[in-house]
Parts: sequence; C-alpha cells; structure tokens
Amino acid sequence: MGVFVFLPLVLPLTAWPVARLAEHHLHPRMATWLLTGVSGVLAMCSTLSLALLMVVGTAQLPGNPLPDGWSDPEVREAVPYDEIAGKLAIPTLILVLASCARAAWRHHRVRRRAGRALEGLPATSVVVLPDANPYAYALPGRKDRVVVTTAMLATLTGPERRALFAHERAHLTARHHRFLLTVQLAARANPFLRPLRTAVTYTTERWADEEAATRIGSRRTVARAVGKAALISRGAPAVTLAGFASAGPAPRRVAALLGPAPAARLWPSLFTSAGLAAWGAAAGTTISALSSANSAVTLFLILKAATPL
Amino acid sequence: MTKAKREDHDTHPRRRGQGELEAQVLAALRQAPGARTAGWVQERLGGDLAYTTVITILTRLHVKGAVSRERVGRSFEWTAVADEAGLAALRMRKVLDGEADRGAVLASFVTALSPHDERLLRDLLAQDPTEGED
Repeated sequence: MGVFVFLPLVLPLTAWPVARLAEHHLHPRMATWLLTGVSGVLAMCSTLSLALLMVVGTAQLPGNPLPDGWSDPEVREAVPYDEIAGKLAIPTLILVLASCARAAWRHHRVRRRAGRALEGLPATSVVVLPDANPYAYALPGRKDRVVVTTAMLATLTGPERRALFAHERAHLTARHHRFLLTVQLAARANPFLRPLRTAVTYTTERWADEEAATRIGSRRTVARAVGKAALISRGAPAVTLAGFASAGPAPRRVAALLGPAPAARLWPSLFTSAGLAAWGAAAGTTISALSSANSAVTLFLILKAATPL
Repeated sequence: MTKAKREDHDTHPRRRGQGELEAQVLAALRQAPGARTAGWVQERLGGDLAYTTVITILTRLHVKGAVSRERVGRSFEWTAVADEAGLAALRMRKVLDGEADRGAVLASFVTALSPHDERLLRDLLAQDPTEGED
C-alpha cells in the first residue's frame, strides 16, 4: 500500500492541465460538466482519505473510543509515517470540514440576503434597480430573478440588453449556481482543486454567453454587450493580480464570441486537437479518480479487516 | 401556552417580512404631498402596526437613506427620498458590498478588468466591424 494512501490528497494536481485543456478546447457546457464532476469526485476521495488517515491517527491517542485493532501494527504498516500523518490528519480534516461548512453557509446567506433586499417589490422575473453602480446578477431562489441596475442598462443598446437578459436567464435555467457551489466546496476540501474553481467560473460564463448568442441569433451582439459591460464596470476593485499580463475572463469571452461557435457535438473525434484534448482530459481524470478511489477503498478495507467483530 | 404559541406564529412571518414592511411604510410616505409624522404613517397603514414599530422602521429607512426627517417641535416629520425600487437598490448594494466573495455565489455578468484587459478589450471591440449597427 505505502504512499498510495496519500495519492488522493495530491492527485488533484493532475486536474490542472485537464482544466486548461477543457477550458480551451471543449464546448463550455461540456467543460463545465466535466470539470465540476472531476472536482467533486476528487474532493470526495481526498476528504475520505483524510478521514481514514484521521482514524489511524485518532486510534493512537490514549482513551479514544475507536476499536483497538485500528492501531495494530498491520494497519500502521499500511500508512507510511503513520505517527505524523495520522496526527496531522486530525486538525486538517477539522479545518476542511469547518471551511466547507462556512462556504456553504455563506452561499445561502448571500442568496437569502439578496432575496430579502428585493422584498416589497412586485414579483417580476426582472428587477431593475436605480443605481449608478453598473451590475447585473442572476439571483436563483424560489422565484428566479434577474437583477440589473439602470446604470448597466443605460450603456447597452436594445439588442445588447436582450443579450444580457438571455445570458442571465441561461445562468438560471441551467442552475449554474449549483456548479459554482460544488467547485467552491471542492476547492475548500483540497486547495489543489482551486484552478478547477477558476476554470468552472469561466466556463459557466462562456456557457451562458453561448446560450445567449443562440437565443438572440448574434454572437457579435453578445460580444459587444460583454465588452461594454466589462468596460463600464472597470472601476470595481480587481480580484486578479494586475501585474499578471495574461488576459482576464472578459477579453477571452469577447474574443471567443467574435470567433466561430464551438462545436456542440458531445464527444469530438479523437483525431482533432479538440478531440485529443477532450479524450486526454477524460482519460487523465478517470485515472486520477480511479486511483483516488482505489487507495481510499484499500485503506477502508484494511481498517475493516482490523476491526474485531 | 396556546396563546404564546399563536403569538409566536404571528410574529414569525412579520419578522421575515421586514423588507415588505419597509416598502409599505415608504409607499405610504410617498403618497403624502409633503412631510408627515409617524402617527400619520401609522394611521395610513390601517393601524395594525404599533407606533414604536413605525418609528423603528422609519429610523431604519433613514439610516438607509431612503427617507429624510426634519425636527418639528418635539417629534420628527418624515419625507420619502427614494421609491421602493430605490430602497431595494440601497439594500442590494449593502448586501453586495458586505460580501467579499459574492462572485463565488452570484453569477455576475462581468468581473473587474485589469488595465491590460481593458486595452485588450478595446482592441477587440474596435476590430468588430458591426460596431454601432443594429
């Protein structure tokens, strides 16, 4: 067994190139599903393996309520550096669980507060707020709503406004907040999964852009709407490092919209660069996920065998 | 016991609908041609709200900047400054400003731009031949 126990903790590193490939070569809808799925599976394996390590660690502590068999030499042999790893796993797992709980709670708090801010207004699906700050949000809830400010609408022409609304509707129809919550929790469970969160944040936007382009029948109009909206929102503090000279999400979205539509086929042929990327991503992910699951299951079985029944 | 329980049931939806109460008070004030007292607002709302509740709501609206007040004698007279949508905008702003990672929750139409991105974006839009049409 050996170092295999630690594999689920570091295998998420392999998701980085997968995220890049999927982001660039796959249809955004498929990239979102693929990356969110990968993220969820890897995070679960990582947390499970952490929990199993913690069991080994806790079993060493005097006065623990766990079966004595779990700290047998045979079990310890399966875990390299069991003394350190087991004990380190205890605070780490607590930290992971607390961090995930906090993220989930925060997610619901933002949605609840935003919903409450609109109380007293007629229950329309689009809410226009008089505000000099340009923003537009898709607000999922018992009643899905699109919130947009007058400042945002003022900069867009009629067709561009339709593009904006189609974009936000696409977020709501496809329940993008669930994808975003999944990758956010996964990134909390294992920091190596953070690039997947960034990638999915981008692919959901691209997905909504493509849906909007199909709905209103003009990729250029959507591109112009995204571009103009980004330019008037530029006063907001940038989350990304300004020194980084790589293009941020907005210019990449506009460039993608000004280019040809991505192939909507579910699985492209293996003999194209997109196909190679897709299949490579899928294969890499499957191997990562299987290895993760394998070591988690192996450790589980060892512990089960060591449990006196 | 049963009375206490019923009261509990009564206050619960009220607590949840605080935003609605604010909107109602604001709507009442907006119908007035000028500044009005809290008592006038209470009467206008049909009297199912306690006077202190009306005062509390008016004060809260004042903090949010949706109403202004002027001291007349020993009490205040209140005037609506914003409408219901304006009040919602002020409340939404507070929610958004208070959440550092709101982007992780609410899918925003666009995110902030770096100076490099801005140049890139202007170049991209300038290339677009249909700019200004339709």
